[in-house]
This record gives sequence, structure tokens and C-alpha cells, in this order.
Amino acid sequence: MSDLALSPKKPPVPMNGYRIVQSISVFVIALVVISPLFMLFIASLKDDRFQILADMGSFRAFWVDSPTFNNFREVGNFAGELAFGRYLGNSLLILGSTVSLGLVVNSMAGFILAWGSLPGRALILSVIIALYVIPQESIIMPLLIIVSRAGLSDTFTAQILPFVASPLYTFLFYQFFAQLPKELYEAASIDGASIFRTWWSIFIPLSLPALATVSILMGIETWNQYLWPILITQTDYARPISVAIATFFGQDSIFWDRAMAASVLMMIPILVFYLAFQRWFISSFVGSAVKG
Amino acid sequence: MSVLTIVPKRRRRSIIARVGWPRFLQEIGMLAPAIVLMTIFLITPFLLSFWTAMTNQPLVPRPTPVRFVGFNNFLRILNDDLFWTSLWNVTRFTFWVLPVQCGFAFVTALILNQKMPFRNLFRGMFFLPAITSMVVVCVIWGTLFQYPTGPLNHIVVSLSGGHIQPIDWLGDPNWAMVSIVLLSAWQAYGFQMIIYLAGMQGIPDELYDAARIDGAGPWGRFWHVTMPGLRPTHVFVLVITTIQAFKLYTQIAILTQGGPNSSTETVVHYMVRAGFEEQKLGYASAVSVILFLIVLVIALVQRRLMRRFDV
Repeated sequence: MSDLALSPKKPPVPMNGYRIVQSISVFVIALVVISPLFMLFIASLKDDRFQILADMGSFRAFWVDSPTFNNFREVGNFAGELAFGRYLGNSLLILGSTVSLGLVVNSMAGFILAWGSLPGRALILSVIIALYVIPQESIIMPLLIIVSRAGLSDTFTAQILPFVASPLYTFLFYQFFAQLPKELYEAASIDGASIFRTWWSIFIPLSLPALATVSILMGIETWNQYLWPILITQTDYARPISVAIATFFGQDSIFWDRAMAASVLMMIPILVFYLAFQRWFISSFVGSAVKG
Repeated sequence: MSVLTIVPKRRRRSIIARVGWPRFLQEIGMLAPAIVLMTIFLITPFLLSFWTAMTNQPLVPRPTPVRFVGFNNFLRILNDDLFWTSLWNVTRFTFWVLPVQCGFAFVTALILNQKMPFRNLFRGMFFLPAITSMVVVCVIWGTLFQYPTGPLNHIVVSLSGGHIQPIDWLGDPNWAMVSIVLLSAWQAYGFQMIIYLAGMQGIPDELYDAARIDGAGPWGRFWHVTMPGLRPTHVFVLVITTIQAFKLYTQIAILTQGGPNSSTETVVHYMVRAGFEEQKLGYASAVSVILFLIVLVIALVQRRLMRRFDV
């Protein structure tokens, strides 16, 4: 799962005329494909929402004469009408809690399924694999009943707790732990380490690839949640930024300048992580597909 | 066989006798959080959906008791033209998005699979849309689709030398789904591209060398080495994309709300409208059961196909 992205450095490809032309043309194609993203960032620096639309049809969409952060100042409040500072904070809180709880819960379960001695582990594992086929969309209506009867409407808990334990991530951890050598586990038991200690001090430090894969997949999934928070949040209290951005579309005339700035706010955290851990991102997505 | 049956079966020692109480309790404690959470938030709602689907459960509790209505919800769904429209729309969407998205992913993967300088940089660039949230994608493409003077219309009009009139991308029933296809394919192709790249890099170099010795040109190597080697990848990519396509929702809810003229109504959007806006949770649960059955059938077909291709 990691051989694609984390392969050892190959010797550099020798440069010649053909290679240069090839690289430049691939670069140009890539630029065209991601040009809408550049447009977003440029437009968020333009103050006049009518100018943004007028510029869109030409190369002016990629140029800004007098960049300004006015849009960001307008939407970056923590209370009131355009409280995108708060929505961003909400999203980050939900992201951080879901991923950190998810790493602990799923890796513990995956570890017990791989190395524990409880009877019925094989059965539990096959039930978990079978559960993976249930799409979130098809349980969301009954989940709404359960969560609102529990008095959790419009809370952070309702957006965190249901997504902490997941068949896919438990399975990914199980798969990773199961292929680590048996000697590791035996050495720890001979030294008298408890099973919890074995998990925490021996296996977790060795599972950086699995931890990274699950964090990235879970992080993207949580960050992009839209249907569930729409159903469960009624006020600003726990509203995530995705739902807040979508409300721009409900208005008669869309304030594109503000929508662009809010979208950039939503992109920045994930973009920072992506630029820092690009290879890990790509190998995570391959890892999620290993099982059929 | 008969010898074995004579020997009295030795009773397996219980787990507690083997590992002791502390270890047993620790293992339970480590496994329990995941099991409990999955039971509450996944298994229970899943089982509940089959029950709720047979009742007239409302979203907000009413003084009148919830009634069991049998298969009435299902009958009403199957008699609702809008449901069939939504099912037809997601099918249409699937058939359009599959070639566009997977085709583009396949071509970019082929390009990136060649040896070239800065390959990792290019791969990172091509993957960028895949990490962009659908909500943000809707903001971006909402401006691209502007009628009549948006960038896409500008390109269409100037490329056709003015022969094609500006298109009302999201407002014209004939074009709305096409627009959703374009936007969805752009957002998601990066994932399929990465899967294809992994598949291509899994084909051993020796096969290409052997083909070269046998006198195969680039075209021959593509058809006789790359394509057969990618068969399981193709199956996987097609199935994953199909399942995603049937769950089409976010871009619809934000950009078209199923319109114009229900031309972009989808199954999930239909379900959310029934359950959330019209407050008929029982009815919506019945739709979700149907959605689950559709996804299950696709997943089973995948398993069948994967087995046939010996993966």
C-alpha cells in the first residue's frame, strides 16, 4: 500500500529535449486542470463581487490589481451574521476530536482482533467487514431519531461520537497489526507486559504508516461532512464551516466575494496538511482501496 | 477418523483459565469502545431502518402513537413518479460520470506513469481537486457556470465562433445534469487516478521487457501488457465510482435542489426531502432501505467480478 508513494528515491531521469517538452506540456495540462482553484484564491482577494463575475470570463480571473483582505475581514467574525471564524473553529474542534478518538478506539479494537485471545474474534472481524457495505446515507434517518431522542441535537457530541468507531479503520488497523512479526508480541509477553502496554509501547510506535493513513482518510471524511451536520445543527453553536458556506446559495443574489473568502478559509487547513504530507495523503488513498 | 472418535475430547480450557482475569478484562476493555459505538451508531440504526420503514414515524414526536403500516411506504414509493425520476437520474448520472471521470483518471495516470522529471510534483497537482471539499467545489463551479457570461460560456461561445448560444448550465433541464457530471468528475477523478497509477506500477517491468523483445511497439505493449494487467483495477474503479454515483447528494442540495423540473433529483436528495423537510421519517427510512439494497447488489456484483478475475 505504500510502495507507490514511499518508494526509495530512484536515480533522476536524465534531461534531454524530449523530456523537457514532455514535462512542460504535462505541467501546462496540470495547471489548466487546477486553474479553478487559482481562480478561487485570486477572487477571494477582490473586493467587488460584481467585478469578480465580470473578470471571470477573461484572464483577469487570474490577476488582481489591488489585493485586499476585506472579504476575510467581513466573514472572519466569531459571532453575528458571518461568523466564519467560529464555524472554522467548530470544524477544527470536530475534526480534532473525531480523529484523535478514532485513532485510539479503532487501533485498540484492531489490535485485539489481531493479537488478543478473546473467543469469537474471527466472527467479530467478519461482522465488521460486512458492516462496511452499509452506506452512511442509508442509516442517516434512523440515526437522526436515535441522536435527537438522546437529546444530542445541535451538539458537538452528535457530530463526533457517531463517527469515531468505523469498520473500515478498525479493519485497516487490524490488517496492519496482523502483518507485524509474531516475535514482537511474544517478546513483550515474556517480559511481562500487559496487553494494553504491548499495544501502547510496542505496536503503536511501529504503526506510523497506519496512523497516518487513518488520520488522513478520517480527517478528509470529517472535514467534508455535509448531510449529517445539516440535519443535526440548527444554530451557530456547533455548525461546521461546510454547512455555513452552503447557506450562501440560499440567497437571491449570491455574495461571491464572501463565499470565495469563506471557501479559502475552509481550504487552508487541509491544504497546509496536504503540502506538508503529500506523499502520505496519496498513499492513504491507495491504502483505503486495498480491500475490495 | 474412527480412531480419533474413541479418544475422549479434552475440554478446551476457558479463556480466563488460560490468560487470567486481568488480561481478559483488559482485552474486553480495549475492544468494547469500538463494539459499543458501532452497535449504537451503525448496527442499531441499520436494523431500526427496516422497522421504521414499516411505520408512519414522524420526525417530531406526535401525541398520536406511531402506527405499523406494513409495506405501505414501499408501495407508495414505487407508485411515486418522482422516485422513479430520481432513480433514473442517478442511473443517467452514473452512465455519464463513469466514462468522463474514469476516462480522465485513466489518461492522467497513463501520462504520470511515464518516466519524467518532477513527476511527484505533477501527481500532487493533479490530485489537488480530490482533497477539495464538495462545498468549495460548488462555490468555484457555481461561478464557472454563470449564465450568460461565465467563463465556461465564454469558452463555448468563442470556440464555436459565436455559433453556440450561451448555455444556462444549471438552469436548463437538458444541461443541469451534464453540469453536475462535469463538476463531480473534476472533483473526484484524482482518487481513480491514484488507483490506476498503483495498478500500473504493480505490473512487473519484466513483462514490458519481454514484450519489447518480442517486437511489440508502444501501442502493442499498451494493449497486450498494460490493459490485461489492469483488469482488476478497472473492475474496482468502476464499482467504487458506481456506488459513489448512486449516493449523489451534496452538489445537488447546494446547486440545484433537484431542479429544474426534477431533472437533477436524486435518490438521497429525495430521501432527505421526505424525512427532513416533509418530516416523514418512516417513508424516508423506506427509501434508505431501497438505497441500501441497491448498494448491496452493486457490491455483490463486484465481489463476483473480482473472483472471476481471480483477485
